[in-house]
Amino acid sequence: MNSDLLRISSSPHIKHEDSTRVIMTDVLIALVPAAIWSVYAFGYRSVTILLVSVIFSVLFELLYQLIMKKPLTVTDFSATVTGVLLAFCLPVTIPLWMVIIGDFFAVVIVKQLFGGIGRNIVNPAICARIFLFVSFPGAMSSFVKPESSLSAFALTLKPSDIDAVASATPLAMLKQGQFPSESLLDLLFGKNAGCIGEVSVLMLLVGAIYLLVRRVITWHIPVSYILTVAIITYFFPRNSITIEFMLNELLTGGLVLGAFFMATDYVTSPATPNGRLIYGAGCGVLTVFIRYFGGYPEGVSFAILIMNLFVWYLDRYTKPVRFGGDPK
Amino acid sequence: MSLTFRGGIHLPENKNTDQCTITRPREPAYIRVPMSQHIGLACIPVVKPGEVVSKGQLIGENNNGLSACIHAGIAGKVLRIESAINQNGRRDDYIVIENDYSGAVSPDIKPCEKKISELSSDEIIDTVRRAGIVGMGGATFPTHAKIKSAIGKAQKLIINCAECEPYLTANHRLIAENAKDIIYGAKILLKACGVTTGYIAIEDNKPDAIADLKKLLKGDSLLSVKVLKTKYPQGDERQLIYAFEHKELPAGKLPSDLGYVVFNAETCFAVYRAFSTGMPVTERVVTVDGDCIVNPGNVIVPIGTPFSDIINFCGGFSKRPDRIISGGPMMGIAQWDENAPVTKGTAGILALSKDMYHREIPNCIHCGRCVGVCPMHLMPCYFAAYSKINDYESCDAFGVKSCVECGCCTYVCPGNIPIIQYIRIAKSKLTQKK
Ligand code: SF4
Ligand code: SF4
Repeated sequence: MNSDLLRISSSPHIKHEDSTRVIMTDVLIALVPAAIWSVYAFGYRSVTILLVSVIFSVLFELLYQLIMKKPLTVTDFSATVTGVLLAFCLPVTIPLWMVIIGDFFAVVIVKQLFGGIGRNIVNPAICARIFLFVSFPGAMSSFVKPESSLSAFALTLKPSDIDAVASATPLAMLKQGQFPSESLLDLLFGKNAGCIGEVSVLMLLVGAIYLLVRRVITWHIPVSYILTVAIITYFFPRNSITIEFMLNELLTGGLVLGAFFMATDYVTSPATPNGRLIYGAGCGVLTVFIRYFGGYPEGVSFAILIMNLFVWYLDRYTKPVRFGGDPK
Repeated sequence: MSLTFRGGIHLPENKNTDQCTITRPREPAYIRVPMSQHIGLACIPVVKPGEVVSKGQLIGENNNGLSACIHAGIAGKVLRIESAINQNGRRDDYIVIENDYSGAVSPDIKPCEKKISELSSDEIIDTVRRAGIVGMGGATFPTHAKIKSAIGKAQKLIINCAECEPYLTANHRLIAENAKDIIYGAKILLKACGVTTGYIAIEDNKPDAIADLKKLLKGDSLLSVKVLKTKYPQGDERQLIYAFEHKELPAGKLPSDLGYVVFNAETCFAVYRAFSTGMPVTERVVTVDGDCIVNPGNVIVPIGTPFSDIINFCGGFSKRPDRIISGGPMMGIAQWDENAPVTKGTAGILALSKDMYHREIPNCIHCGRCVGVCPMHLMPCYFAAYSKINDYESCDAFGVKSCVECGCCTYVCPGNIPIIQYIRIAKSKLTQKK
C-alpha cells in the first residue's frame, strides 16, 4: 500500500454519529404527535398550513443562499424545523399568504441576514410569530373551536366561516380573571381553541420526553421555566382558587410548546447548565409578568424573545469553574 | 458503586480484542529505534554503525537531565543512524538494527538477587532508570523521575488500569495473563515510593481481570482493587484522583501534591521484568485493531518494529485504510508512514476506514454538548469561535491552557467542528507570545 494515501487527521479519530441533521430530525419527530393532534382538532387546514410553512421556509433559505452564493445548508433541516414551529404557533384560520410572509421574516430576516445557522440572535420562529402578531393582530387572534370544519385549501377564510365557530382561548378568559369553559383534562388533551400546535399539552409532552431521552435537550430550561411559572401563579393568582388557577396557567398559552421546543433552541439559549436554569427562570418570570400586565394575553413568545437577548451574558457569567479551580 | 468523575463521554468501546491472547510474532528483519521515546531530553546513540549489538544492550542514553535509557530489542548489526521526522513532527535520530536472528542476549542482563524487602529506594530507582522504564500508557514520563518526585509526598499509589480508550485491550490482556507479575511490580514501586497503601484502579468493563486481581489480593495489606465506571477519559490521572478522592488537581500541580502517585499496569510489568530477569524495556504489548485489519489481536513486539510488519502478521488489510493511528482513536496520532516504528508509548495500532465523518457546518449551533462533556469543565465552543477569528486572548480568558486535549468536545460536536485543532492553534499562539 502506498503510504501517501493515508490521511493525517488530528485526533480524535472517531466521531459521535449525531450531526446537526440528526438532531433536527429528532426535533421534527418529537413534533409529530402534536401535529397529528392538530389535524384531529382543526381538520386538514392545519396540514395545509404546516406544509406551506415548511415548503416556503426551505425555499427561502435555498433561494437566499443561491442568490448570495453561500454554501447550501437546507439539508441540515433547521429551516424545516423553523417552518414547523412557526406553523405551530399560528391560528388555523390564518390566511396562507400571511404564513409565507412569516416564513420569509423568520428565515431571511432573522436567520440568514445575521449569518445563517448558529448566528441568529433571536429565535426565528418566535420572532416571526411576534412580527405577524404585531402586523396582523386581527388574523392572529381569531381562534376557532376544535373540530370545526374549515376549508383546507382556501387562501383566506371568509369572516362568516370563522365567526360561526369563533371561540375565545382559555388564556384570554384567564386574562379577564375567569376560568376557561374547558376542564383541565380538556386542556391537557387539547380540546380548546388555540394555535395549531399549542393546544395539546399531552402530545407535546410525549414529544418532549422523546427529546429528553434522545438527549437532544436537557431538563434545565423547561423545568426551571415551568416551575417558575407554577410558583408565581400559585402564590400570586389572578383568581382565588390557587391550584386550579396555577394548572390553568400551565396548560394554556403555549407554555409547554415554548418551554420544551422554543426556549430550548440551541442557538438562542445558554450552553451552560447554570445559564440554562437562570434563562428558564427568566422566561418564567417574564411570561407571568406579561400575561398579568401586558396588553396581550400571550406572554411566552415575548418572554423568550427578551431572554434571547441575555444569552451572551448568561454564558459568560455562568462559565463553569475549571477543573482544579480558576487560576487567580 | 463504581467511582467516577464529572463530564466525559461513554464511547462505543470496540474492545474486540479483549479475549485475544497476547501473541509473539516472528522477530522483524530490522528495527528502527527512535532516540526520543519519552517526555524529556532525547537520548544520544552510544553505538556506532557496523557494531554488533545483543538483545537488551544499551544503545541510547542521556545522562544530562530528564531522560530514559534505550536498549536494543533484537540482536544484530547496527546498519546506520539516520535522522528523520518523528510522529510528533520533530527531528529525531533513529538507530537502525538489522536482525541476525542469533537471539544473543546482552551479558549485562542479570536478575536482581535481593527480595523486595531488602531493596532500598535508591537501588530501585537506579534499576528502573537503567531499564529505561517510562509511563507506558502513552504519557511516557520517565518512571524513575516520577518515583523521585513522589518520595516523601505521596501516601497513596494507584495502578492505573483504566484503559479508557476504545479498541485498546493491551493492558487488559496483560492483567488477565500476568496479574501476579503486575502485582509484584506494583509492590516494588510501593517500596520505592515509601508508600504503604496502593490501589489497582480498573474499569468495570473488565470483569474477568477484576475477579482475578481480587482473588490474588485477598487479604493483602498493601494493595486493593478499586472499580471505576467505564467512561472516557477515566485514565487521565486528574480524573482518576478525582474519582478516588473527589479532589480536583489544581492546574500546574502534580498528583503527588495531593498525596498520590500513579503508574500504569504495563509500567508495573516492566518493573517486574527488570527485577525478575534484568531485561530492560525492549518490547511492549500492542493492540492491533480497526475495521481494516483482517485478524485483530494483541501482540508483543520489540521496540522499533515497523507497523507494517505487525499489520502483516495480523493478516494485513481487508480494505484500504483511510488512517493508521498510533494509540487509541481519541488521543492517538495519525501516521503518514505505515513503516513507523513501535515506541515505548505505542499502546495500539489502528487502521480505520473512512465512514466516520460527516460534514462540517459553517457555524457552531451553540448546543452546549461540548460544554457538558468537557472533563476539565471548560467551554470548548468559545475556544473554537475565538480561535477562528484569531482572538487568542479571549481563548486564554476562557481557560484554553487547562485543556488536556482529550478530544471529548470534538467527538460530540454535532456540527463536526474541529474544536481541538482550534484549541491547539490557540495554545501554540499563546506560548509563542510568551
Ligand atoms: S479537548 Fe480540551 S476542551 Fe475539549 S473536552 Fe477535552 S479538555 Fe475539554
Ligand atoms: S458541540 Fe459543537 S456545535 Fe455544540 S456548542 Fe460545542 S462547538 Fe458548538
